Amino acid sequence: MRWIPEYQPDVERVERFNSVARITHWGHTVTFLLCLFTGLILFLGGVDWLAAIFGGYRGAGLVHRIAAVGMTLMLVFGMLFGFKGYIAWVKDIFRFGMNDVKFISIFPLDFFGLEMKFPPQTRFNGGEKMNSVVLMTMVSLLVLSGYIMWFPSIFPAGLVRFSYPVHDLAMIFSTLMVCMHGFLGSFHLGSGESFWGMWKGTVRADWAKHHHAIWYEETYGDKAKAEAE
Amino acid sequence: MARLMTNLYDVSKCTACRGCLVACKDSNQLPAVMEPFKGNYATHEDTNGNTYTLIRFIEHEDPVDGVRWNFLKYQCMHCLDAECMKVCPKKAYRKTEWGATIHDEDKCIGCQYCTYACPFGIPKYRTRTDTVTKCTLCYERVEEGLKPACVRTCPSGALTFGYRDELLQQAEARVKFLRANGFPRATIYGKLELGSGTNKIYVLTDTPDKFNLPVDPKVSANTWVWQDWIKPYAGWLIPVALGASAVSFVTNRLINKGDDHAKGGHE
Repeated sequence: MRWIPEYQPDVERVERFNSVARITHWGHTVTFLLCLFTGLILFLGGVDWLAAIFGGYRGAGLVHRIAAVGMTLMLVFGMLFGFKGYIAWVKDIFRFGMNDVKFISIFPLDFFGLEMKFPPQTRFNGGEKMNSVVLMTMVSLLVLSGYIMWFPSIFPAGLVRFSYPVHDLAMIFSTLMVCMHGFLGSFHLGSGESFWGMWKGTVRADWAKHHHAIWYEETYGDKAKAEAE
Repeated sequence: MARLMTNLYDVSKCTACRGCLVACKDSNQLPAVMEPFKGNYATHEDTNGNTYTLIRFIEHEDPVDGVRWNFLKYQCMHCLDAECMKVCPKKAYRKTEWGATIHDEDKCIGCQYCTYACPFGIPKYRTRTDTVTKCTLCYERVEEGLKPACVRTCPSGALTFGYRDELLQQAEARVKFLRANGFPRATIYGKLELGSGTNKIYVLTDTPDKFNLPVDPKVSANTWVWQDWIKPYAGWLIPVALGASAVSFVTNRLINKGDDHAKGGHE
């Protein structure tokens, strides 16, 4: 049984994510998971064994805060060194159209293994666009509400009170998305190649052509090549 | 349920001597907290980690009655339906049989959820122990048959300790007397507040807002949305996502027995 698609260095490959995007992505992965597992201790309640992994409740609180600062730094790092990338990302999200709606509506069947015929997709397909919007919003909410709860004395009490349910809800939606994203970006056979796009930076050209036809044409297609020359 | 034991505080008898504050500090072995002079008689603006009770001094001008100077002993109200208990993730709060809300410092992890859930803003964080603290209604004393330290020390009889039903009757008689003798707006506070009332009864000489008390204390919508809806139900979305992924992992590999995906895409 294959876990993730094999990395094939000998076929034609195209760049999907540059180094800044990749560092930011994996930086967020590590800090998010640390925050998640330390935070779940309070959310679930009664999971002393989880707290013990981080050295008890106080240790978990410390890890949560350190990871939270790390996550904030990752945001700053991405904004500083990859601002253009962020803009391109957001611009692509706003290219949401009928193709994306079609994609999202038939994707559940593909998700469980049926082969579906999808309309051509831009750099990010309908599902990835949805994932991006939800995660961008939820992580921003997590960061904002988190700092409000960390320094409650400098914020109005009503805002602090409001931050608790917001932090929990944003955690739930972002974790939901992270679960799906983590699975689709690795173990899902059809889309698993995208794992190498984020790990090594490149994906197979034929995969890119098949899964992100519009993006491939615009970036690596004949027209783009002609323009570059 | 055992009979509720309550602390009755009669504002009209209070001289603001602050004996209760000192007795509380003494009994609970709390160090003094010096706060800068704020231009009034109050020693403390609010409860803090080392001050479980304090006297508020509230001045207000009334067009009819002229200037009024109100005193109010302020501390945990020991709500019968306590919000701090609901939000505490470590279940550090418990209710004694006779109605006191007790906070167990050994279980507390200092998250301060209770500080912001409390309709009266009572539990406070104490850096020294990295925990939250608040009035205990002197439950160790009460369970040994003694009165709370503040009641024991009160020289003017403003504080009484006893069974809640008896004290409520006493309070009602006192309010009736006050209304007939120059305090027409005298009222009881804590009988029905927050639905089931509090295990601390006030006899006020005026409406609660004249004592900086919330007239209709409410549990914030944020708190119940969070505790009654998000915590028990919304979290299930995550295992659902994980379960769907696991199913997909298996069905993908069952349906696509060949490896067309990995080689050249779907074609």
